[in-house]
Amino acid sequence: MISLLGLDDAYHAPWFIALIALFALSLVLCSLRRLALFVKEKKTIVLPEEDRLLKMDLHSYIPEKDFSETLGLLARRYRLALGDGQGAVLEKGRLSRYGVFIIHASIIIILAGGLIGLLFGYRGFVTLKVGETKDRLTLRGKSPAEVPLGFALTCKDFKVNFYPTGEPKDFVSSVEIVENGKAVLGKEIRVNEPLSYKGIRFYQSHYGSAPVFFFNVGGEKVALMEREAFRKNSLLLMVARYESRVHDFGPGVLVAYLDGGEPKATWFLKNVDRLREQDLQGVRVSLNDIQEQLYTGLEASRDPGVFVVWAGFVFILFGLYVNFFVRHRRIYLLKVPGGLLVAGTALRNRGDLDKEFKNLLEEIHGHTP
Amino acid sequence: MAIHHKILGVATLLYLLVFFLHILYFSLKKEKALSAIWITLYGTICIHTLGLVLRWIESYRMDIGHVPLANFYESLIFFAWSVTFMLIVMRKKIPYPVITMCASLASLFLMGYASISPSVDRSIQPLIPALQSNWLHIHVITCFVAYAAFVISFVCGLLYFVEWKGVVPPKEVLDNINYRSVIIGFPMLSAGILTGAVWAHYAWGSYWSWDPKETWSLITWIIYALFLHARLVSGWREKRIALISIIGFMSVIFTYFGVNFILSGLHTYAT
Repeated sequence: MISLLGLDDAYHAPWFIALIALFALSLVLCSLRRLALFVKEKKTIVLPEEDRLLKMDLHSYIPEKDFSETLGLLARRYRLALGDGQGAVLEKGRLSRYGVFIIHASIIIILAGGLIGLLFGYRGFVTLKVGETKDRLTLRGKSPAEVPLGFALTCKDFKVNFYPTGEPKDFVSSVEIVENGKAVLGKEIRVNEPLSYKGIRFYQSHYGSAPVFFFNVGGEKVALMEREAFRKNSLLLMVARYESRVHDFGPGVLVAYLDGGEPKATWFLKNVDRLREQDLQGVRVSLNDIQEQLYTGLEASRDPGVFVVWAGFVFILFGLYVNFFVRHRRIYLLKVPGGLLVAGTALRNRGDLDKEFKNLLEEIHGHTP
Repeated sequence: MAIHHKILGVATLLYLLVFFLHILYFSLKKEKALSAIWITLYGTICIHTLGLVLRWIESYRMDIGHVPLANFYESLIFFAWSVTFMLIVMRKKIPYPVITMCASLASLFLMGYASISPSVDRSIQPLIPALQSNWLHIHVITCFVAYAAFVISFVCGLLYFVEWKGVVPPKEVLDNINYRSVIIGFPMLSAGILTGAVWAHYAWGSYWSWDPKETWSLITWIIYALFLHARLVSGWREKRIALISIIGFMSVIFTYFGVNFILSGLHTYAT
């Protein structure tokens, strides 16, 4: 039941993704409606009648001032939205009206980036012993699969540095990218310093040590780790299991091989001469040595949506700023008998418009041509 | 005991002093007590900052230099600092001593918990590899400034249900301060989550991993987004808004403490 509902992996369950899709759809619809509203509103900016201006919190009558001169003064600070010879509407911070739209659109962009990553990206890992080269990564998931990288990755060196207190200070994998047999790029991968090559990123994730088995297979020297397979002519063998102590005979490995399509297994014991060297399918195989070797665990991922997500992040922060901290205000100027009528309203984020309006009036009063 | 511990101890005592000065103000109602409160608060943040700086310097002397924002103790101390910082930023908007009193009590609690609790490791620890990044500073600072703003919002939400004439400001004023602190906290929390995501991309290989801390910060973010929508779109005011701010802060508390103690995840070094 739990796995049917996807509760063991709720964030990838179909119902969860459907919920997010529904959320995105409602965001799109809300944003479109709001945008339509703004476009309409922008078209219908009107200069209110005198009695309505007088009802505004901030208004003032200015006698004996020239209309066009005052308008010129106001236009230095505000954008002219509407104007004829009799009156004008000026405004500032109109962007604030679009804040909500920017925020919601950014969330859609971020979700789209996430979707791109989900559809065209993957996450996996590569484990490399020092000196080892691999040209494929193992995907994470319920059924592990391998994906070719399109190039090869060699681990030249791996180091762990410790603080005097014994805690790890630094994990460093020195790696080399090999393409068509040529080393094209060398880099040190550290935690917080991934390597990016052809859209695939490699992150230092973990490290460990594992026994490595040194075989001589028909005259060829081979180093294998547990569960690693090797083919020589018609012989396919794999290290199936490692035991540090097989009864009293010391360390040994169970080697599996195919005998005419039939899987078989035999123990190789390092300290027992008779069992150190055996003939498998007519090939002489001997276990020469077993050594603990450090390996580095690199996370590998490809996510073409990441820059879309970054763009969404930048937009949403901009949107939040604009929405909450940019004030949208309008100043109205109307010619009345004997002078001018100035009024102001804050349409969003009222803030200190009172102070601003006072300063504005002082400027108009004090202005002499 | 290192000098920075002593200085931070002094800061803790100063928060206690701030609390007593508030009591003094409420009993005497003298303007002088009010200015004493603010002078002490300014002094406290100076001492508090000094303590943080000395701890920073001390870490360099120990050869494991890093900003004191790296473990649970340091985050508690910085949380308390952020609350005081937020009070000073919003000073003009909150001329009500009862709010500064409650917020300073929160700082006092955080400082006290940090210095007394046996479960908090107060030593300077070296920075583990995952934390060695410049994103650490911006991520932690934005998150805790957001938390601090939500402390003020929470205080307003709680005070809304307290009837005490002459001490508790009028309800519509509380409602307005509540909103003002959320419009600081919400963008800051957004910035905190986003910088965390960018950092996670570079450190862990994925900008979002549904780590418990990430998930809970998203839940908190959604609650405050609901707060803003309820207020700005549906026109909710006062009582219901106060309730959402209380629920939002519960979620902040769970994101900060609960996730560390109850759920394990990628953020475990913060315990």
